[in-house]
Amino acid sequence: MSHAQDSSLPADHIPTGLDSKKLIMWLFLASDCMFFGTLITTHLVYRKIYENIGVDPIQIFDIELTTASSFILLMSSLFMALAVSAIHKGNVASFRWNLIGVIIFGLLFLAGQVYEFHHFVTHSGLTLSSGTFGSTFYLMTGTHGVHVAMGIVWLISWLIYSFTARFNAHQHAVDVETAGLYWHFVDIIWIVIFTAVYLIEYV
Amino acid sequence: MSHTADSTVDREFLIAEQKKYFTFMNLAFLMTALTGIELVIIFLPFPGSILIFGSLIFLSLIKFIGVIFWFMHLIYDGKLLTLIFLFGMVLAAGTSAALLLIFSDDHVDKSLPFYEEGLIAHEEAAGSGH
Repeated sequence: MSHAQDSSLPADHIPTGLDSKKLIMWLFLASDCMFFGTLITTHLVYRKIYENIGVDPIQIFDIELTTASSFILLMSSLFMALAVSAIHKGNVASFRWNLIGVIIFGLLFLAGQVYEFHHFVTHSGLTLSSGTFGSTFYLMTGTHGVHVAMGIVWLISWLIYSFTARFNAHQHAVDVETAGLYWHFVDIIWIVIFTAVYLIEYV
Repeated sequence: MSHTADSTVDREFLIAEQKKYFTFMNLAFLMTALTGIELVIIFLPFPGSILIFGSLIFLSLIKFIGVIFWFMHLIYDGKLLTLIFLFGMVLAAGTSAALLLIFSDDHVDKSLPFYEEGLIAHEEAAGSGH
């Protein structure tokens, strides 16, 4: 490629025509798929091998609460999609309100997870070290919870930054979209965990 | 670009974004309904049914596709991004399928001492008051 062609490319774009930030985020998400795939599979394999795990998952799971958590995360994804759409349109006020919605729903999801963990430990004696089920369950759902928490911190930083003079809707639209990709990813991971870990126990 | 051309582009962009708004809303309602259906079908009186199992996988797959293609804009973005993500997905799904097959009941010797390890550890923890 000639120098002239190189210089004609926008600063944040590579010769594929894609924004480099989005490309990097998608590469990260593809690798994170494998990471979560391993955690979920480890749980399923041990669940399959150790039939007698000392606790009955159906007795300790509160499936209504978990379904509500799934609904909360799906709605947070809707708010995130609307926030990204708003910033692309240059509507900063709408962007902020939708982002606040994502943060509130994300915090509600985390509160539900903390309540669930507390209930498991205090009422069922299921801890991280109380057997393979506890170890793989807490490791998998805990790692997902950490991803959600990191996403919330990232979005709060965008909310604060949007009130500064340096914030420019058109200039930062792709950056927000990249944060949105991460947020939607934690949602799809939960879709898989909800089915593969919780609902399957009832079949 | 002239002012008129700029206005046309802006107008087309806004119309497209407005269409996305309704798409996102419809998708969110659909996924909410699917989550509700998932909750209902696990209580249907067909325990161990392959139909229930298949339905759960199918419903979660619809939600998964809905989020990655519409909320994550894959349907609007370049195909390369779809390929990159699918590559990771295929590797993850392939690894999962391989592990689940390797550790299927037919291939695990349950007479081995470490088989009961998980249960023993749990009983010890419960006995010590944790």
